[in-house]
Amino acid sequence: MAAGGAARPHDEGLRRPWGAITAFLLPALLVYAALTAYPAFRTLWNSFHEVLPRRETFIGLANYAELIQDEIFWKAVRNTFIWACASPLIEVAVATLLALALYAKVPGARFFRIAWFTPVLMSYIVVGILWAWIYNYDWGPINVALRAVGLGDWAQPWLGQPDTALPALIFVTSWMWVGFNMVVMLAALHSLPREVIEAAELDNCGWGQKLVFIILPMVRATLLNLVVLSFIGKMKIFDLVWITTKGNPLWSTETVSTYVYKRAFEWTTFDLGYPSTIAAVWFVIVLAAVLGLTHLFRLRDKLEY
Amino acid sequence: MDVLKKSILLLLLSGYTLFAAGPFVWAAMMSLRTTTEIHYDHFGFPDPIHWEKYPEAWFNSNYAIYFTNSTQVVLAAVIIVTLIGAMAAHCLARYRFKLNRLVYFVLFSTIIFPPQITIISLFQILVQYGLYNSKLGLTLVYVAIQLPLTVYILESFFARIPSDLFDAARMDGYSDWQIFWKVSLPIAVPAVATTVILNFILLWNEFLFAVVLITDEVNRTLPLGIQRFIGDTQEDIGMIATGLMIAIIPVIVVYAFFSEKLIQGMTAGAVK
Repeated sequence: MAAGGAARPHDEGLRRPWGAITAFLLPALLVYAALTAYPAFRTLWNSFHEVLPRRETFIGLANYAELIQDEIFWKAVRNTFIWACASPLIEVAVATLLALALYAKVPGARFFRIAWFTPVLMSYIVVGILWAWIYNYDWGPINVALRAVGLGDWAQPWLGQPDTALPALIFVTSWMWVGFNMVVMLAALHSLPREVIEAAELDNCGWGQKLVFIILPMVRATLLNLVVLSFIGKMKIFDLVWITTKGNPLWSTETVSTYVYKRAFEWTTFDLGYPSTIAAVWFVIVLAAVLGLTHLFRLRDKLEY
Repeated sequence: MDVLKKSILLLLLSGYTLFAAGPFVWAAMMSLRTTTEIHYDHFGFPDPIHWEKYPEAWFNSNYAIYFTNSTQVVLAAVIIVTLIGAMAAHCLARYRFKLNRLVYFVLFSTIIFPPQITIISLFQILVQYGLYNSKLGLTLVYVAIQLPLTVYILESFFARIPSDLFDAARMDGYSDWQIFWKVSLPIAVPAVATTVILNFILLWNEFLFAVVLITDEVNRTLPLGIQRFIGDTQEDIGMIATGLMIAIIPVIVVYAFFSEKLIQGMTAGAVK
């Protein structure tokens, strides 16, 4: 028993009351085992089977072989990755600029902060319906505004054509999440030591220099954290697509989530094995991507300091 | 010069505010106008104000049912997940034992799981146990999906409570359960409030699990109800806007009173 153990947070454990430990952990672990761990393993099991309502047949790697050739799946993977890579950049960049603006002691900062945060409190369902209206060809405010300033030729059915649908949806998620990222950035900025920034001002550092060399490096951890969070969130995206385009037109907005849903519950194949295979493969891809991203960020951290 | 700079900045910020809040203002205006009026001018002010559309949406299209279902499922799930999450978090923060960090890591790592990895099997499992298409089933699933984040936030808070407090309580003859219930939890009220708010908002808006696990009209939660509502009313934009506002209003009201707490709750996962 180490001396000084009493100062550590876990020192109750010196007695190791297994009864209490079990009692405290049991409900959470039961829920976890029954509704997270078991389903995850069962999905893996499903992926090697053809799973029909009353019959399961082992088919080995056939589902995986089919998946490799499944063009819609790869299209969905591509769309999801474009989304998950574009969003963090847009959101975090715009949020940082807005946070800096509020940090510069603008009157009404509190009001702005509260107003900008609102979109993230709404469900994707509500947001999706609203933006479907905003993008409406005939009377949506975007097209109306374009026609009003004489750019009527630019008016288009934003969600209705393959090359604008995905960017339009990415724009919606950015609109929704910028406020959230801004609030986190602002909190990080406010926690910076005032003296460092004041010292930079004394050294006659310009605004841009101050930002690039002093402020950004100091809020790096928060920035990267937000990037990873935004990335993970977009890899899961389902609701917004489902309520607006359902993956149309021509699979241009199909994400892996919507494709799994379609294959499992909409297509009349009734087979749950193949969608489970998609889920299993996607799980590995997401895990690898997130681990890779955090590893990359950590590596660069080490190089810089 | 400085005044000029500030004014330009302020103008830009106001512009962004219009962009961020505009859609809601627009929806709120449409919710008080009839579809005929809206088709005449999509951006007009409500004149006269059609308040009667709210009771109409509420009574004519099962909004009362959706609202009640959402309230029941979300409240039950939040209470359960807070309780069992707090118990687990307290245990992981307070007791030192082999596997402690392993249990923590296993629970925590679930946060990055894409929902697809469990959703198909959850559908099978709930069908098997007669919980498919029931509010109880959905509630249990909601508890499971919010458990990792709850444990994560609470554990980091509990770990910061000085252990002297627990030693003193033990001297006073408190049992393990009493220490959790009478020492840990009361101190952790701010953190608990944070997780409650966060879980409430996330589950109130949840759609994917609901759409897979619920089919009957009588069990639909609000997001499902709205989806159904647009299906039924199609071109009746005015009515859909009213429906949207009914779904938004509780969140807006809570936000009006507890904006700081809500922002804190929502961003709790993002700030280390």
